[in-house]
Amino acid sequence: MSLTFVNAEKHINDTIVFPAFDLSVKAGCITAIHSSVNVRAQLIDLLIGNTLLSNGNIQVGKDDIRNGIRNIGFLFLEDGLYDRLSVEEMLFFYKRLYDTDLLVNESMRKIQLDTKRKTKIGQLSYSEKKRVQFACLLLQNPDVYLLEEFDQNLDMESKKIVLLLLQQLRSEGKSIVMLTGNMESAVIAADEIYRLDDQGLHQVQLETDMEEEGMKDDVSKAADLVQPVRFEKIPTKVNEKIVLFDPPEIDYIESNDGQSFIHIKGESFVSPFTLKELEERLLPFGFFRSHRSYIVNLQKVREVITWTRNSFSLVLDDSEKSTIPLSKTKMAELKNMLGFK
Amino acid sequence: MMFSLRRVNAIFQKDYKEFSRNMAVSSVIFMPPILAAIYGRMGIDSIESHYLIINMTFAMITAYVQCCLIAEEKEKNTLRGLMLSPATTGEILSGKSLLSFLLTGVVIVISAFLSEYKPENITVVAIAIILSSFFYIGLGTLLGLFAKSVMEASVLVIPAMILFSFGSFITKLAVQYPILKVANYLPNIQLIELATEVENGAHFGDVLSQLAGIIIWVMIIWLLTVVTYRKRMVD
Repeated sequence: MSLTFVNAEKHINDTIVFPAFDLSVKAGCITAIHSSVNVRAQLIDLLIGNTLLSNGNIQVGKDDIRNGIRNIGFLFLEDGLYDRLSVEEMLFFYKRLYDTDLLVNESMRKIQLDTKRKTKIGQLSYSEKKRVQFACLLLQNPDVYLLEEFDQNLDMESKKIVLLLLQQLRSEGKSIVMLTGNMESAVIAADEIYRLDDQGLHQVQLETDMEEEGMKDDVSKAADLVQPVRFEKIPTKVNEKIVLFDPPEIDYIESNDGQSFIHIKGESFVSPFTLKELEERLLPFGFFRSHRSYIVNLQKVREVITWTRNSFSLVLDDSEKSTIPLSKTKMAELKNMLGFK
Repeated sequence: MMFSLRRVNAIFQKDYKEFSRNMAVSSVIFMPPILAAIYGRMGIDSIESHYLIINMTFAMITAYVQCCLIAEEKEKNTLRGLMLSPATTGEILSGKSLLSFLLTGVVIVISAFLSEYKPENITVVAIAIILSSFFYIGLGTLLGLFAKSVMEASVLVIPAMILFSFGSFITKLAVQYPILKVANYLPNIQLIELATEVENGAHFGDVLSQLAGIIIWVMIIWLLTVVTYRKRMVD
């Protein structure tokens, strides 16, 4: 079953939260909607039925959402679990509440908490609680899954478990919508990414058309790259000042809305160059284009994580342990560089 | 949608487990039996003192526990999950009310046994007590809708506790301040009046006015609760 937004529009008094957009979330597909916290809160309120759209409608399958919302399962950022119940009791409660035939043991195994079945939820870690929340959602077995920032602050193990679960759900033909403000997590988990803000809904292109873009750029590049002096520093703009950075200082570079952001020690600076130009300049310093919108300083990479067979991340050795998406094709390239066959 | 007893039962069992593990709230159920035991040993057996304990049970257990059950769901953001589930509001409230109702019943029976209270006509008294507990469950639900956390619930319930458990003193004050005669219509005073009549050998037909008084209170409080619920949930 699919979730469809038809001409959906929301404004509060004079402020536009989002202008009219159409979006159809297909079954068997993970769709990410990247938005600000405010837009996200509004979307959730709409889907719960707390508020109404200013215009247009939202449908689950063929039903208008105003007639009931039984087919959507929500995973909220706040956990909503009973701290004094054990994991097992919590899941049995959900099983009875939703009157399902699905097995509690099965869902407990899927989130890999069978060893902690008797542990009180209050004593679990944040990530484990999130997994319990996921298990409740599995028992609920809705057609549409709505996940609010599901991987925020999750530890590596839980993230892996959850991503694997999402792959399974996708292959079962469920529609999964993730609402997030974090592009990295969207890139790692989702098949399609949209950005929703007061300018409307825009699809964020993933790596598929990367090669074409490369071809286009080649022509203009030759002209650009004539530099009178050999100059290695990378200029960035801070308000009206121009600040120069040594390439080894840079952790990674991210492109967002056509702008390049250089991340250094947890701070980000706007660069006037495109990612393509920066890649050309930085290649000799051991930088690597790990994804269509990311360049990473390979000297700073600590770990390569394999989430599922075709989603990967790089973990950096900086203070925030940033994770950078690594696309499938680039993974092969990186393996070559590292000497793996 | 059908009213499902399975879901009510699921909610009841969940609340029972949560309640029994939350000592801060569940320890109040020991108060009335302890007081009853002391009264019983001291040989105090006036009808007022028996009903001081019973009314205290209503305020401290029925209303307070019900209020805390609802406030805690709100505090921990679990109410949203329940509301999004197939369980209707009626089922959620029934599950919760069932717990406070059963607790009240058990505590009143134990306290009556300990304070050696043996009513002359047990059916009439039982009916009156059951009706009164509906009133206090409604009161607890209403306060629970206003409270945002268990802490707030404990504060909100204090005025109700004072008014309803020690309310019988107001009748004495009313001799001095006639305005307080209004208090004679409070459900707790009605209950005491009914019990006194029963001790004097009254039958079902003789206490209809008091029973009607309690029923009116039950209706008022549930009407208020439903109105408040509609208002609060729209926001």
